[in-house]
Amino acid sequence: MIKQHFLLRNLLFTIIFIFILSGILIDGPYRALTNTLHLQLIPSRLINDFIAIGGIGAALINSALVGLTGLLIILKVKTLLSGPTFAAVLTLMGFGLFGKTVINILPIITGVYFSGRFIGKQFKEYIIIALFGTALGPVVSFIAFEFGLTGIWAFGGSIGLGLLTGFLLPSIAVSMLHMHQGYNLYNMGLSCGFFGLFAAAFILATGHEFKGGIEWYSKPNLFLTLLIPVLSLSFIITALISKGKKSLTDFKKIQKIPGRLPSDFMVMESTEGALVNSGLIGIIGSLYVLVVGGDFNGPVIGGLLTIMGFGAFGTNLKNSWSVVTGVIISTLVFGFGLNSPGPILAAIFVTTLAPLAGEFGWKVGIIAGIIHLVMVMQTGAWHGGMNLYNNGFAGGLTATVIVAVIQWYKTNKTEFSNSFRSKK
Amino acid sequence: MRRQDIILNLLSEMSSYILSGDPQRMVISLHQEESGLHLCILDSNDHSDEEVERLEKTLNSQKRPELAGYYGAMTGHDLLGSSRMDLLGWQVKHADVSKTDSGIKIDLWMGGDEFESQKFSIPKSGK
Repeated sequence: MIKQHFLLRNLLFTIIFIFILSGILIDGPYRALTNTLHLQLIPSRLINDFIAIGGIGAALINSALVGLTGLLIILKVKTLLSGPTFAAVLTLMGFGLFGKTVINILPIITGVYFSGRFIGKQFKEYIIIALFGTALGPVVSFIAFEFGLTGIWAFGGSIGLGLLTGFLLPSIAVSMLHMHQGYNLYNMGLSCGFFGLFAAAFILATGHEFKGGIEWYSKPNLFLTLLIPVLSLSFIITALISKGKKSLTDFKKIQKIPGRLPSDFMVMESTEGALVNSGLIGIIGSLYVLVVGGDFNGPVIGGLLTIMGFGAFGTNLKNSWSVVTGVIISTLVFGFGLNSPGPILAAIFVTTLAPLAGEFGWKVGIIAGIIHLVMVMQTGAWHGGMNLYNNGFAGGLTATVIVAVIQWYKTNKTEFSNSFRSKK
Repeated sequence: MRRQDIILNLLSEMSSYILSGDPQRMVISLHQEESGLHLCILDSNDHSDEEVERLEKTLNSQKRPELAGYYGAMTGHDLLGSSRMDLLGWQVKHADVSKTDSGIKIDLWMGGDEFESQKFSIPKSGK
């Protein structure tokens, strides 16, 4: 476990360093840093592609800083780097490309800290909630930079609302887990979406209207195209150097795990097996984007980073293919473009529902994928884009419905009296 | 979480695991002390050596406060699908799993930092 911790720590610090270095080299230090500062001061509701707004360099640096913040907090509270924390750091970095900034995540993390203190829990017990709860970062940015408040009111209001958001998240997160019983990997997406409904309702009640379209970078760029494949290959090579062919054996074993929350592949099998799984998910995800002609931009790369992270915490190739197929079918049936923003992000993030296929089979996976696409095309508007994990929200609703039906069927398919039989 | 809730969740998850094997007999014994508790579960099913080893390893896995504090809430609560002994493993202090003449015996000890299962007041013969 200690070896695993140091391997992951070094790997993550290396990725963060490479992001910062690349950012400076691509845009030059002055432009990259001033644009990074600019990104801290904008509203960041869905979908604001930081590459489109601040350039590649600034987006990479912001992503690295957000990931670094999460990693340092994990190390500070002496939490083991493993499947869930690895997934959390990569998710932070991913969403640091389209919505999270150091400024908008800190009040939420602090709010979760106070929540734990309030009921006598150590912060490390809530650290997963704190890190993934940063999906509501746009709530902070919205109050500070979009709602129309100025000066101390904007500052105090955004910090205060961020703290309150974080404070309430643990209670909501645990309740949401029970709704889908661990079959939606992005439970904080469902939790934040649920909270976002209330936040959006209060904002609309003040007479404010959510305005603005999406910022979506669509210029072809070789660096952005190769970023995830190269990162994925480095995961696989790291695993092979560390554990040789055994990492491939462990990777095969990981494919047999259903993936229901909380499935820490790094502990259940090995860190190296999980890194191979993660790397292959990144490569296949990138190939999918290439094949459908999608853009490699902030949201897409962010999505790929996220699913690579969850390649250590619930997502594997075997439990994912059917839910992705469901999204593709749904996209084609309802006449959307496979490479347009909603469907391409849905095809990546639908892996939040992979445990449904892992536990109940590929047919359930396809149905889940079909429903997910339809839902996710609507849910963003419900919370005004406040919840960055919109796919986690839609996935949570989808999983809840499917789990309810399966539970109802399993509970009632046999008459109670017939469930008893003679024992030998 | 109240002690009563913790015990109910433990019982529910363990029972779910044992009952998934459809045993003819399942016996549960609970003994409480001020600083901890001992739960003993017996069943009448055959279990492979591999399963016993895996179960003992899972139940004695490294404590994971970051997972137990959040996902631990699902213990004994969300039972659709396979049982998840790792949820228990992160929370119990120590576990012993052994084969009996007719099935399996699982001993779980749970308690605070000051709780030592070795000094527990259940007589050895009663375990």
